[in-house]
Amino acid sequence: MSHTAKPTALKMGIPIPNSKLGLWLFLGTEIMFFTAFIGSYIVLRLGSKGWPTDTHDTHINVFLGGLNTFVLIVSSYLVVVSHEAMAQKNFSKARMYLLGTLILAFVFLGIKSIEYYGKISNDILPGHIAETSSQAIKKASRELEVVVRKRFAAYTSSGAIPTERPNDMVNLVIQIEALPKAATRPENVNEETFKALQVSAPVDVALHSRWMDLHQHIVANVSLKKPATGPEYVAASAKLEPGEKLPELEYSEVTALLTEMKADKTYGTYVTHGVFEPHPVVYGNIFASIYFLMTGFHAIHVIVGMILFAVVLRQGSKLDGKWTDFVENSGLYWHFVDLVWIFLFPMLYII
Amino acid sequence: MSHDAYDGQVAHSDDHAHDTHHVNYLAIFFVLCACTALSVIFDVVHLSKPITIVLVMSVAITKALCVMMFFMHLKFEGNWKFVLLAPTTILAIGLPLALFPDIGASYYTPTAPQVTSWAEEIRNDKDRHAEHAAATGHFEAGQVE
Repeated sequence: MSHTAKPTALKMGIPIPNSKLGLWLFLGTEIMFFTAFIGSYIVLRLGSKGWPTDTHDTHINVFLGGLNTFVLIVSSYLVVVSHEAMAQKNFSKARMYLLGTLILAFVFLGIKSIEYYGKISNDILPGHIAETSSQAIKKASRELEVVVRKRFAAYTSSGAIPTERPNDMVNLVIQIEALPKAATRPENVNEETFKALQVSAPVDVALHSRWMDLHQHIVANVSLKKPATGPEYVAASAKLEPGEKLPELEYSEVTALLTEMKADKTYGTYVTHGVFEPHPVVYGNIFASIYFLMTGFHAIHVIVGMILFAVVLRQGSKLDGKWTDFVENSGLYWHFVDLVWIFLFPMLYII
Repeated sequence: MSHDAYDGQVAHSDDHAHDTHHVNYLAIFFVLCACTALSVIFDVVHLSKPITIVLVMSVAITKALCVMMFFMHLKFEGNWKFVLLAPTTILAIGLPLALFPDIGASYYTPTAPQVTSWAEEIRNDKDRHAEHAAATGHFEAGQVE
């Protein structure tokens, strides 16, 4: 038997480290994940007859969006030079760049929070936006009702008005109206609280009265200038010719009412804090859903990237060449996060 | 695949691309910054909608290519990148195309209750919105057709 050289083992597969291959496969699924959102956004927008683009409606801030794009670009640059420093065995430099990336990720989320706050404080939330004037009127009335209920809760929760039915506003308002004249106070309520509630009672009764009046006009769909209940309403309705209607409730009347209520010196503050500006935004809800879904998932990806960088930075001075692949893969992930934002920025903020 | 061929590929693509391909990352960074500034400028100058869309999306694609080619080193990677990314790209494009006929064309039919009952209100709202915008100093009325 002649001696022949043992053939070398055949190596199959893609000539990159397994971790990098795994990361790229993961990024493949991520591409499909985000393009599903982006694709859905495109078809929904094309299928909608209109779209809110006025920044006064959407509370989109293109400068904050642009600033965040810049922040992500700088962070992407820092990651790539960090990986380069790792390859050059300059680990302290790599750590410094990664720390910069982590800080910029915090800055990104900070700016994003400011943007989210701008939307939340204006009730630009999925399912909250009135799309027509009638929806806007009803939304304002619902919010006003919540304000009244919160005010009334102070009387029932403190025990000033003992009741087993704290949501029964019709009976509750009668009891609150009588409170200032009450001779005795319940034992479980301290004197200071009771006196404060006696003082606020007429204000809250007046607030309830304004809301109830609006509510009744909405139910009857009658202008605020005309009575919506009682004998006057019945008499006015009786005078109508067949097919004739009392003047309908107008959106402008409601906005004028809210402006007046917000300016009131007694309950104006409660109305200002509890009732949003109600103007209708057609397709506002689908816009808000898309905005929060896409930017929200993107923000989650930013947080994951921050965790990856924190893991590397936690090594401190022990960081060595064994982490080079990890830094490269984290960097690839971070570039992908940047890449998604590169498309989200024009699509959500500009177009 | 022979061992030699495998080693050759490793030397080309695995041994940290930047070692063999020097990239001026700072230049790429400045290109990306300039592109971002361009996007904001295209928004601020109020061009017509189709032109704005073409311009900002062209800028976005340029930025994406810069990031993918240089920051993600795809320019210097082997052909595996096509094997890995082509299927996902095809599927990603396929989804909106599949959704388009039913949803993109119009997800409410013209006789759907949402459309018929809202139509008049939305028309009125358009006028009110314009009034509201004028009153509050925001002259750009929202797109309502």
